[in-house]
Amino acid sequence: MIANIIPLDYFAVIMFFISFFGIITSRNIIKSIIFILLMQTAVIMFWLFLGARYGTAPPIVYELGMLDDLSAFADPMPQALMLTAIIIGVSVTAINITMLNALFRKYKTADWLIISDIARKEESDD
Amino acid sequence: MLTYFVVIPVLIASLLFVFSDNKSARVLAIILQTAFTAFSFYLVLLTRGGDTVTIVGGYIDFLGIYLRIYSVSAVFMLLTSIIFLVVAVYSFNMTDSRTFWFLLFILEAALTGLYFTRDLFNIFVLVEVSTVVVIILLMFNRERRQMFGGMVFLMLNIVAMQFYLLGLAYVYKLTGAFDIAYVSDAIALSDRADLILPYALIMTAIAFKCSIIPLFSFTPKTQLYPAAPCAVAAILSGVQIKTNVYLFIRLQEVFGSFASHDFFLVVGIAASITGVILAISQTNIKMILAYHTMSQVGLIIIGLSSGGYYSQIGGLYHVVSHGIFKSALFLTAGIIYRSYGTCDVYKIKGVLKRLPLTGVVTLAAVLGITGAPLFIGSVSKYFISYDVPTWLMWTTNIISLGTIISFIKYSGILFGKDNGLQGKAVETDKWRIIPTTALGIMCLAGGVFGQQLINFLFDANVSISLSSYLEKSLIFFASLAIGYLIYKYAVKGNQVLKRLANLNFSFKSVCMSMGVFFGLTLIFVGIL
Repeated sequence: MIANIIPLDYFAVIMFFISFFGIITSRNIIKSIIFILLMQTAVIMFWLFLGARYGTAPPIVYELGMLDDLSAFADPMPQALMLTAIIIGVSVTAINITMLNALFRKYKTADWLIISDIARKEESDD
Repeated sequence: MLTYFVVIPVLIASLLFVFSDNKSARVLAIILQTAFTAFSFYLVLLTRGGDTVTIVGGYIDFLGIYLRIYSVSAVFMLLTSIIFLVVAVYSFNMTDSRTFWFLLFILEAALTGLYFTRDLFNIFVLVEVSTVVVIILLMFNRERRQMFGGMVFLMLNIVAMQFYLLGLAYVYKLTGAFDIAYVSDAIALSDRADLILPYALIMTAIAFKCSIIPLFSFTPKTQLYPAAPCAVAAILSGVQIKTNVYLFIRLQEVFGSFASHDFFLVVGIAASITGVILAISQTNIKMILAYHTMSQVGLIIIGLSSGGYYSQIGGLYHVVSHGIFKSALFLTAGIIYRSYGTCDVYKIKGVLKRLPLTGVVTLAAVLGITGAPLFIGSVSKYFISYDVPTWLMWTTNIISLGTIISFIKYSGILFGKDNGLQGKAVETDKWRIIPTTALGIMCLAGGVFGQQLINFLFDANVSISLSSYLEKSLIFFASLAIGYLIYKYAVKGNQVLKRLANLNFSFKSVCMSMGVFFGLTLIFVGIL
């Protein structure tokens, strides 16, 4: 399996920087938001790979004897924390999309360049 | 005990959420906030005897969540509670909106949590909470253009915090803990090569939040500050950025000997010079103040990174003084805007005649920010350039010269003949005048009693020698004269500066500069 040769966390880091590249290059705001989501997913993946190595068991103890060898378990800490990170990610994305919705209704476009041009013109009118 | 400090603002917020249209509830909230400020003052006294720690949940060692306060965070806490008190009084008559009052105090709770927490993951959560709250407060006027700025600001913050989260994952991989004390112990033992990537990732995020990088966070400021309510701008500039400076201090401590101070010294110098040049080019009074925040934060970073004991104390005191004079300037700018109906620095004239008290407070704050003798800025700038190399001392003098030039432009609004522009209301609201006057008095008192105040707040033992203070005062008056000449002959009507004022950085270019900063940190820390 490829995961045995290349550690999985490298994939997550590569995905992080690919989505960063996507954020820089995309012209559409929706695409930028999707790339930000992708970036969050990459980070969450990285965290999960930290705890759950190939061959580790889920951190559920149903026999007392299992506690002798703790290294056999996946680390439950990242999993618990990533739940919080996922919730934060969802809520900020929701706020983002709400704002984009309001902007789209006014400007009828989701293009970065067009919207920022209009916003700049409005500013100089003040 | 420390848990109550986070809970009390939440309780005040809930009280105001239920009774937002009731004035007596607001009076009660202000009384509670005053008591809260008094307790923060007590915390400063408490940290004299060493750190105070509360363990939430009762788990000891690195499993538990620790709240800890020490002398630096107690001062930040005191500053935060004072500014929130002032802003709460200032906006007493501004709005009945329950969203505004609720979020104002929730923000205070989040910032308090940030000062107390000893857990790296909690920092992530609380920073996200405070960012979202600030953005909703900034868009409080519900203008569509602000919404665009708000969206850009939010997206940039999310991207920056992803850098932080990835860096934190590396830290967890190395150390297996989130508690700052344990992490810094473990980092001291680990290999330098392993630390390069997490340090670069985390510091990129923190530097973005501090808005110290040149080319950085211009977009949010250009688009958000001009139309945002002045009370919120005062909080954003006076307190929220200070929180990020506090995080900068903490995380540099976590990385200990690995942390690169030289790199941030260079970045601080670059940020403050860029900020000053952009501030000179602006014509909107709020924008001048907004860009100045960048340059002053750069100055704070210079003080914190230059390594000398005195300049470190100076940097910390500059946090306090900047919080005070910047919020005074923003709040008075709000009053001036209401009275004149415009923010154009060339159109407003004769503030001292029309609004005498506001004019005097503005003058005091301007003297504070430029570092005039006897005012608060002079003391902190004196200490920042006290024990640094000569070239750095002259760099700070040049930055001060830039500050003076832009505030010569700004103080043009104070003098001259009233040109009869009329805004919405002539200011007679005592709820607005009392807090701004208090801030103006603090600008003077913080300068006159500067030495005693520093020794009290930071438990330090520093003294101002009269001869070198006089020398600094002479430098101030000399740069005032030079600044006036430069302003008159080089700045007024300069086409290059006019073009600079319209400089606008898009979301993508700010993201790109975030990437460039990340790369630079990697190179600087990894190779040099």
